[in-house]
Amino acid sequence: MTSPLSVLDLAKQYNTPGRDPVLAVRGISFEIHEGECFGLLGPNGAGKSTSMNCISGFYPATSGSSKIFDIDVYAHPKQARMKLGVCAQEDTLDTDFSVMDQMVRYGTYFRVPVEEGRRRSAALLERFGLNDKKDDLVERLSGGMRRRLQVARALVSDPKVLILDEPTTGLDPEVRRILWDVIAEERVKGAAILLSTHYMEEAHRLCDRVAILHQGKILDCAPPSDLIAQHIGAAEIEEEIRAGVRWKRPPNLEDVYLKLTGSHLENGK
Amino acid sequence: MTGWWGVRCVWLRYFDVYRKSFIYSIVTTFVEPLLYLVAFGFGLGGLVKTVQINGASVSYRQFVFAGIVAQTILFQSFFEAAYGAFIRMYYQRVFQAIATTPITLSEVLWAEVIWDASKATFAAMAVLLIGTAMGDFHPVGALIALPLCFVSAFVFASLGVLVAARSRTIEEISYPQYLLIFPMFLFCGIFFPMESLPPALQWAAWVLPLTSVVSLIRTLTLGFPLRLQAFPILAVWLAVLVPWCRRAMSRRLIK
Repeated sequence: MTSPLSVLDLAKQYNTPGRDPVLAVRGISFEIHEGECFGLLGPNGAGKSTSMNCISGFYPATSGSSKIFDIDVYAHPKQARMKLGVCAQEDTLDTDFSVMDQMVRYGTYFRVPVEEGRRRSAALLERFGLNDKKDDLVERLSGGMRRRLQVARALVSDPKVLILDEPTTGLDPEVRRILWDVIAEERVKGAAILLSTHYMEEAHRLCDRVAILHQGKILDCAPPSDLIAQHIGAAEIEEEIRAGVRWKRPPNLEDVYLKLTGSHLENGK
Repeated sequence: MTGWWGVRCVWLRYFDVYRKSFIYSIVTTFVEPLLYLVAFGFGLGGLVKTVQINGASVSYRQFVFAGIVAQTILFQSFFEAAYGAFIRMYYQRVFQAIATTPITLSEVLWAEVIWDASKATFAAMAVLLIGTAMGDFHPVGALIALPLCFVSAFVFASLGVLVAARSRTIEEISYPQYLLIFPMFLFCGIFFPMESLPPALQWAAWVLPLTSVVSLIRTLTLGFPLRLQAFPILAVWLAVLVPWCRRAMSRRLIK
């Protein structure tokens, strides 16, 4: 059966004039299946966003391939992206439009007819708790609302593959939970989801499999609990949370990351 | 990989924004050329009665109205492209958002330049209409001038997109604005006959694309002698600027 998303030996080197070339992604490979959420876990600078941009076909890869339902994103970007929804890390909302109009307009880029786009957008805005903002300009939305809208917009074409680049970074716990619920629902509906994050809890909660990304390389890839069991074990970890205060807690993906790379997820140091 | 459906789709996005902010759009598109028409056509035109070129004599108002068609094309296309494209690329990230959909960056960039040229052509059309209504322009010539307006606007829009792509900050757009656009505006024959300039300056002015645009518009609207060099000069600018601006913007966006 054709995989919704398959990435093979993908590498990306940045060649900036006057600077040394930077190999940001070093031959990563994985496949994502229908109804699977696959996480790329790593700190800032690990190569997550570059990988996402190459996988969606926005950046050309230096070598390797990225295929959506066996369609090469570089050779046939139009066909491949018809099945793809992307939520970039940066805010790319179109501030010239109201919330509803921008959803409908975005749908037209995927050949979604205006009336159908309006129907889908209304349902999505309801689902994301943005219905009462549908006539507002983007400028009037809070940071959390903007992020929700950006994810909602990525769903207006009803994509079979969803690329979410740090969708919850900087959000408060309530908004984060709304997005987690939506991601879980999309997974149940059968979408293949590629999620990048540096939140271990998010990766553990949402992802069926997690790839530990460090300096552009996948160090290991498995279900979160398998990664923990394999690299850390089941024993509780004792740590000093402040001078003289020690506590024990279950092992988590942060410990896996630390063991594999010698650095922490939050800052990569 | 470019398809006209994608270009049309993005062009409609621009048109939709223009339509939604109708009053702002009308003011920014049409008021400036109208102010120039009134100030120079009627104000200065009252002082300078006629202009003689190659034995032909026209009123200064006719002369400057035709120049203002060219000036409108220059300003409307360049400023929309340079500042508008910079904002869409750098602040709004519209290009990036659209280029991750089935619409390619190549289509987005075609749509950008075509929109900038379209908007400038709307504005130039208003000046042509006024000139024709006042009996200053040959009606048929004014109509034939429309495609020329679009092609000329395409040249200046490409220049604007190139400037947007090469500017690190929005303030840097001021350099080409003051060092290239304003000198063109002043020395390419909008307000006075090129023959008034010293020969060396005439040569320099003819290298710039606006001189050709002014000359061709006066030929069509006022029946001035055709200066054949205008065609190859515009063609060279078009051939250089269009691929250059597309390459520069692609490099800016795609790492």
